[in-house]
This record gives sequence, C-alpha cells and structure tokens, in this order.
Amino acid sequence: MNPEILIALPLLAAFLLPAARRIDASVGIWWGPLVVLANLVIAAMAWWKVQLIGPQSIALGGFAAPLGIELRADHLGLSAAVLLNLAVLLLWPRETPDKARVSTILLVLTGAGCGLAMSADLFNLYVFFELVAVATYGLAAANGKGEALIASLRYLILGALGSALALLGIALVYAKTGTLNLTELGGMSEALSGPAGIGALVLMVVGFGVKAELFPLNNWVPEVYAHTESRVSALMAGIISKLGILVLLRLIAEVFGGSPGLEFLLWVGVLGVVTGELAAYGAKDMRRVLAYSSIGQMGLVAVALALGGETGFIAALILMLNHLLVKPALFLIADAWPGSLKALAGKGRARPLGAVLFVLLALSLIGVPPLPGFWGKYLLLDAIFTNVTEGAGLLVGLILAATVVEAAYFFRIAARLFGSGEAAEESKIPGLPAVAALFVIAFLALSVQTGRVGDYLKEVVHGLQPQELRMAQSDFPDPAASVNGKGERL
Amino acid sequence: MIPSLDLLLALAFGNLGLMLLAGRNPTAGLLSMILYALQGWVLVMLMPALAEGAASGLAFQVFGWSLSWELNGLGWFFAIITVGAAFFSAWFAAGAWGVQGTRSPWAFHVTLAANVAAMLLLLASRDLLTLFIGWELVTWAGYAMMIQSGGPATRAAYKYLIYGVAGGLAVLAAVVLIQVQAGGLGFAAVAAWMPGISTGMLWALMLLLGVGFGIKMAFLPFHRWQAEAYGESPGPAAAFLGAISSRMGLFGLLILLVHFIGLARLDELLLPLIGLDARILWMWLSALTIIIPTFIALKQNDARMLLAWHGIGQGGYMLLGVLVGSELGVAGGLLHVFNYATYQAVLFLVMGAVVYRTGTAHLDRLGGLITRMPLSYVAMLFAIIGLAGLPPMNGFVSKWMVYKALLDEGLPLLFVAAVIGTLGTILSVFKLIHNVFLGQLRVEHEQIREVPFSMWGPMIALSLIVFITGYMPGLALDLVMVAQTSLGFAALDYHLGGFVTDTGNLNMLAVVSVLLLGMGIGAGIFLLGGNKSKRVHQLDNYAGGHFLTTEVRYHYSHHFYAGLLRLIGPWYITLIKRLEGGIAALTDTLAAGSDGLYRTAYTPILMLAATVLGLALVL
Repeated sequence: MNPEILIALPLLAAFLLPAARRIDASVGIWWGPLVVLANLVIAAMAWWKVQLIGPQSIALGGFAAPLGIELRADHLGLSAAVLLNLAVLLLWPRETPDKARVSTILLVLTGAGCGLAMSADLFNLYVFFELVAVATYGLAAANGKGEALIASLRYLILGALGSALALLGIALVYAKTGTLNLTELGGMSEALSGPAGIGALVLMVVGFGVKAELFPLNNWVPEVYAHTESRVSALMAGIISKLGILVLLRLIAEVFGGSPGLEFLLWVGVLGVVTGELAAYGAKDMRRVLAYSSIGQMGLVAVALALGGETGFIAALILMLNHLLVKPALFLIADAWPGSLKALAGKGRARPLGAVLFVLLALSLIGVPPLPGFWGKYLLLDAIFTNVTEGAGLLVGLILAATVVEAAYFFRIAARLFGSGEAAEESKIPGLPAVAALFVIAFLALSVQTGRVGDYLKEVVHGLQPQELRMAQSDFPDPAASVNGKGERL
Repeated sequence: MIPSLDLLLALAFGNLGLMLLAGRNPTAGLLSMILYALQGWVLVMLMPALAEGAASGLAFQVFGWSLSWELNGLGWFFAIITVGAAFFSAWFAAGAWGVQGTRSPWAFHVTLAANVAAMLLLLASRDLLTLFIGWELVTWAGYAMMIQSGGPATRAAYKYLIYGVAGGLAVLAAVVLIQVQAGGLGFAAVAAWMPGISTGMLWALMLLLGVGFGIKMAFLPFHRWQAEAYGESPGPAAAFLGAISSRMGLFGLLILLVHFIGLARLDELLLPLIGLDARILWMWLSALTIIIPTFIALKQNDARMLLAWHGIGQGGYMLLGVLVGSELGVAGGLLHVFNYATYQAVLFLVMGAVVYRTGTAHLDRLGGLITRMPLSYVAMLFAIIGLAGLPPMNGFVSKWMVYKALLDEGLPLLFVAAVIGTLGTILSVFKLIHNVFLGQLRVEHEQIREVPFSMWGPMIALSLIVFITGYMPGLALDLVMVAQTSLGFAALDYHLGGFVTDTGNLNMLAVVSVLLLGMGIGAGIFLLGGNKSKRVHQLDNYAGGHFLTTEVRYHYSHHFYAGLLRLIGPWYITLIKRLEGGIAALTDTLAAGSDGLYRTAYTPILMLAATVLGLALVL
C-alpha cells in the first residue's frame, strides 16, 4: 500500500467522525482507535517495504518534484510514523468529557504527524506542523479542567507566534532560492549561506522549537504537563516533542549542514539542559519534575543536532528514542503516586515494582551504562570533542554538571520512595499500569539490543541525504567550521 | 568446569540471580558463601594463566566499539581480596544476623552479590569503555548497598551518590576525550599514545581521571562522603565496603598514574610557580589523606564512624607506597591493600556483632563487654594491633615496608608524615577498644552473651589471617607479586618471613619468635616467681577516696583525649564542609531561579528576546 494513505486515512476518518457519530453514539468511542490501529498496520507494512527495497520518493498526484508535492518514504520518516501511531494508540486519553471530540483531535494529529514525518518540502512541513500544533492545543485542554485550559492558552499563544516566525523563515528561504523542495535546497546551500539564510534558520529554530521544547520557548511545558492527564503528558513529551525535532533534523541534515546559525541551536540546547535540570531540582511536584526533565533531555538532543555529523545525528536519535520510551513510562508510573514530592515517602515500599522500574528508567535518563541513555550521552560527548575545538571543555562541563543535578533530584525522589513513611494504604496504590509495562518492555529490548538499533540508526542517518548528494560528498559537511569559524561566516 | 574468566563471571552473576530469587531463604547466606568460595577457587586456578591475561569469551558490539574483558595480574590481586571479603561478610550474615540483625537479608545478599559481580567486571576491564561501565556499576551497586538500612543511611548514601556521579562523569569526559584524541580505548593503545601528548592535555586528563578515581578512594579533598556512607551501612555490608570498595579507586589510579602516565613522566610534570613535580604532589596528597582523616577519626563518638574515617586514612599509605616506585615501596603499598582489607573487615564485623547484641555503636554507651563477648574482644584486639601497624600483626609489615622505602628513597618528611598518621591511629584504636570492651560493664548489658558461631567464626578466622600473614608475610607477598609484576615493576626479593633488600631486611619469623619468647619469659617469671596479684570484682572500685556503690558505674569514656583535643582542636578546619554547603546553596538558588524563569507570565517576550539575541549571535 502507498505511504500517502498514512496521511489520508486518519484525516478522512477525522472528517467523517462527526457525521458517523450521529448514526450511532458508540462510534465516537471505537472509531478513532480502530483507524489508528489500521494506520499502524499500514505504517508497519510501508516501513517493512523500505527495509526491503530502500527509500522511495513519491510524487503526489503524479506531478514531479519542483511543482508537485513530494513525499519521502525513507527510514526516518516511516520509523517516526510507526512510532507515532503506536504511541497515539497506547496513550489514548481516558479522562475526557467528550470522547468523540478527542478522537477527532487525535486522528488529525496522527495524519498530520505522518505527513510531517514524510514531507520532503518546507511548505508541506509547515502545513503539517501547523496541523499537529492545532491538534495539540486541543489535546492539552482535552480533560476540560480550568487549569488545563489556561495552560493550553499559554501554549496556543506561544505556538501561534512561533509558527508565524517559522513561516517568516520559510519565506526568506523561498525568496533566496525560489524553491522549497528539500532535495533541491540541498544543492543550493551556498545561496543560503548569507545573512538571509542564517536568519531563516534562526527563525525556523525558534518557530519549530516551541514544539521541540527548546529553551526559552518552552515555558508552556511545565504548565501543560502538570495539568493534563498523564497519558496526554506522556504523549506530548514522548512523541510530539520529537516531531518538532524531526523537522529540524531534516532541515539541518539536508539543507543547513554547517550553517553558522547552528551555533544558536547549540546554545539554546545547552541553556535548555542547564535550566531544565536545575528547575527540575527545584520543583516540588512530580509532574513538574518530569516536565522539566523533558526540557533538559530535549536540550541534549538540540546540542547533538547542532553539532551534526554522523555521530551527532546518531546521538540525537538515540537520545530521542531513549526519551520516547522512558518519559511516557515515567509519567504513567508516577500517575499512581501523589503529585507532591513530600507525600511520596514510603510509597515505593508498598508496591516496589513500579518504584524499581522508575529508578531504572531514571538511570537511563541520567546516562548510566549499559542503558541506552548512556550511549546517547557518550556519543554526544564524542561529537562535542570531535567537532568543537574551542570551548569544548565549557560545553562538556555544563552538560555534565547538569547531569549531576539530574542524578541528585531523581535519587532524592528514589530515596523518598523507599524511605520510611506511611506505607499503610497499600490497597489504594495500583500496580504497574499495563501501558507503562509495554513501554518498559520496549525500553528493555532497546537496552539489550542497543548494538543492533545503533546499526539501524546509522542507516537512518545515511538515508537522510538524497542519494546523489551522498555520492558527491564522502561524509556529512563538517560543522566544526560552523561552530568555531566565526571568521568564515556570511 | 574449566576455570576461566567466563566461569568466574558466570558464578558471580549466577550468584546475583540466585540471591534475587532466593535471597529471603534462610539458606541463602550459606549458598552465597559456597558461590564466593567457588569464585575464589576459580581465581586461584587462574593464577598461572595471568601472564598472558585470562580473556573472557564475552564480546559485544555497540556503535562500532567492541566490548570485551580480560583479567590481568593487577585485577586478579584486587579480585581475590574482593571475593574473600564477600565470603567472610556473607558468612557473618548467613546465620542469626541474617534473621534478626537486619531489616532485609534479601537486600543484603542481593547487593553484596551485585557489588562483587560489578567489581569483577571492573577489574577485568581491558579498555577504558569497559572500565567505565564497570566503574558506574560499582558506584550504583555501592549505593544500593549503603541505602538498605534506611534512616540516616539514606542521607549518607545520597551524599555518596552525588560525589560518585560527579566522579563518574569526570571519568566519562576523560574517556571520551581519550577516544577522540587517541582513536582507541584499549589500555595498551592508550599507554602507547600517552607519551606523545602535550603537557596541558596530560594535566587535563590527570585532573579528570584523578578526580574521578580519587573520589571513590575518598582522596583528599573529596574525603567527606565516605565515613558516613560506610559507617551507616549494616555491619557485614560495612565490612565489605570498608575492606575493598574504595580500593576500586586505587585500582583506577594505579592504571592512570603507573600504567598510562608512568612515574618517570610524573617526575617531569612540574607545577607552575611552586616547582614541585606531579609525583611529589600526589605523594603529599596521600600523606595528607593519611593524616587528616586519621585525626578526624580520633574525634568520633561512634565506633563505626571512627573505623570508617580510618579507612580513608589507610588508603593514603597504599598510594604513597606505590608512588615511591622502588620494589619495596610498591610491594608495601600493595601489601597494605591486602592487610588493610583483613583487619578492617574484622573491625566492622566486631562492631556489627556489638550492635547486634547491644543495639548501639556509640562509644559513650558501651564498655566492659570483654566479660560478655570475649571472642569478639580477641578478634578486635588482633585487628587493632594490625590497624595501628604494630608487630606481630600484618599491618606492621606493610607499613614498615612503606616507611623503609620512603627513607631509602630520601623522603624523610613524608616518612614523618606517615608516622604522624600512625600515631593518631594508635591513639584512636586504644579509645575504641577501651570504650567498647574494657572498663566497667553497663547495667543494661549484663544479660548479653557472645554472638553465635556464624558471627564469631568469620571474625576469628579473619583475625587469624591478620596474625598469620603478619608472622609469615611471604604468604601475602605471593599474591602481591602477581600485581606488582603486572604493573611493570621488578619483583621484590622476599621469603616466607619477610624481604631482603640492599639496605636491610625484615624477618617476621624471627621478630615474632623473639616477641613471643620475651612474653613467655615474662609470663614464666610472673607465674613461677610468686603471683602476688589478687582478683577483685570489676565493680569493687573507688574514686578519689570515695567508695562507689554498684549503682554508680565508673567507666571513663566521654570526652576521651580531652586534653589532646584541646591542644589540636583549633587545627580542625571546616573549609571543605563549607564549600559543600556553598555548592548546595548555589544549586538551590539557581534551581529557584530556573523554576522562576519557567513560570514567567509574559512568555512571548522571552521568545522575542531569544529571536533577537539569536540573530545577533549568528549574524
């Protein structure tokens, strides 16, 4: 089956849902999950096809690339599509006054997300990104609570302004090059090496960074994650934040490799790591701790992305994958406990399994070998020492100091969980939620098979650039020059 | 079963799995003892294979790096002490202690097995990546062991964790830096690359790795975490941790300073302005690590804290000895690792037994236990003589070797520093045995009995080792030479009773024989020449002319060495403690600031600022 169905099917289903629901009210309940399940199967089949015959380019409606719309069914896009469908299905919200409305939102999110993952031109990326954004504004307010509405409004304002800036950036790119197709843009990087191109990159980093939880565009994160249902927080922290990164990854790998504008992304990432981990250390309730920790992790991803090169991109991917599996599981496990950190005392003793897994997952975020988070951090440091010649010590120092802070707050929580406290009300504390268990199993599989996943990620990164470009360049452009060589910019 | 590294690791991890499943079973202690004994047997059988290195068949490929393990002589030496310490700790916990002495015997057995497995993995590393993996596993396994008794142990373990994570990340940074610069991580490749690097790079690596490894060893100025963390652990856990855990830091430092950099290169590394070379700097840090924690130990009122502070100080002798670089010094330093492990384990086990019976280790609330727990007393007596470094126990031999090596190499000031440390040790171990076992028994302790065999057995067995390896140090030197030659030093000329060097020799067989002969003559004169002593009851006593009734106990323990402490009290400084507090306060402040940043109401302003600043930065 053709990959474009991945976009069409959920969007069509979302469109039909309000009508279908009039026929029978129960449609609102099963319609959404069923369609996403079907979409997941299609995505998995398409993914498998790419494994067999390699990446393909699809011209929608038969029009060739510069004029028509190009979709790219490559390793990265279809992996992201599979993971998105899977995550949406597993983390389907429960606490909501109107199930059908949430179904519509999630179907739009799924379709737009799949489109975003496969788009090969900037305009479509922007359109799908905007669709995803609109869906998440609704999702953030889905439980209908007042706090969630306010948080969602905060998110909406920031997101809308960001989208405007991103659109401005895209317009600049179009003005300079006359095309928005990524493959074509890849060959015109010299046209984008001037101030307009660099400025465009900064504007797009700011715009897409809102969703990717980049500093300082992420003030919505703690508010939204603290007040939505834990499944929605898990979904947003787990996969939707990665969609923002995905856009940046494609842009940097294919068009802006080596641009001086990446220095901005680098420092935004470092500041995100430092402020995120520090704020998590200062936070008083579990949801905020996890939200801030998410900011810190996305900061690491941004640093890896800014450094680029094969090592940097693989580091970014493995950090994202680790976070994608770990953070939803943490949100779901923590859901069984009281929100305030003070009230956690002794809760781990009543049902130790959840608490032990919480600690294990936290260890991976901290980066303890042999868990996957360790390999991500290792590769990140590798990329820093390889690509940055000046100030590498400062960068590494800041990131590692933030990691110490990360260990400090996670193990303050762990000590509370296993410390003495009133563990009497055992019956009230549920065990491990089934969905959390699934995420944990996936995480364990990743831990055991890190070697194989690493090989696959290498293939993903190699597939990022179009074939002919890869032939021409022996390796990716060396971003060392961009980060340090201030003299050569413009 | 053919002894191999694979079998050793399989036994260690099998033990971990078994304890996870069956750690609650009353026979778990016995089972793990058998498994530790088997691991010890495998290690002994591996001894002939060490020259070529005992490689493991395990291999993993991750991101283009291949992970594999191989045990060499140095690792083997530490491994045998690790497994031995685990064996005796498991023995102590196998019987009554496991049933009544701890909150969870399962937690103890599991964490002990995890520590042993992690340490063996670390000691068998053949490149920096496996070293780092082992390093982190040891750190976290140690944390799990420390945290098990809850309460104050949680806080102590938390502090350990912060130090441990910071140290581990320093090591990680160095490992990645070496990988990027040298292009390889194998120990041999790194050692071959090191001579060509610049002085600045060498300092950077030495700082990162030295801080990382030094933290584990509680090397000055990172000494503040260890005493609490070890002291608050339950008895046999403290014995195991005290005996071997921080020696993993020494293992790392030996690889760094001796194997990678080399003592000759350390001599060439001059400190700016002062003109001292790096080797002397490390030696003086070792000497300070001996003196300062030892005198902090003197002040302690909790027996376990007193012992744990000593443990930090004793580590200084080991590094000091090795850094002397002569055959005698290296042998002395490494022998001290073994000797120290034996008596430190006894001391913590004895205090574990005392806590098991009395419920306290507070030095003001004990006394006179010699009449109730005579076997524990004998074990502690043997061990404190060893700790103080007096003949005929093994601690004397290794300290003597370090002293002699320092004098032979013309380092008299360091010798004086080492002796000052020993002086502090003698003072505080006397305080320890006096306050716990001598003097008058407290009323509430009249009913207690000696601990059962499962607990005194390991104490007595270990204290016999303390004596025998003091009487015949050649037995322990057999093990030490494996490590010494593996590190690239020439072997010491030794025999069963001691050693022979150009400048003198030591024969403990003669020393101990003369000592025992003298004691025998004295006893003979005393007994045959008319024993005029009269037995009086412990409580038949008076003070300053006043008779004391049996209700008033007269055991002087509070404010021990008040006079001495009045003299040296002002010398204790709290600089590091304040620094710790300062860093914690700074983190809190920054955390509050960051939290505030994310709570701002006018979020678009930040976005605007970011855009403008970002454009300004790159354009």
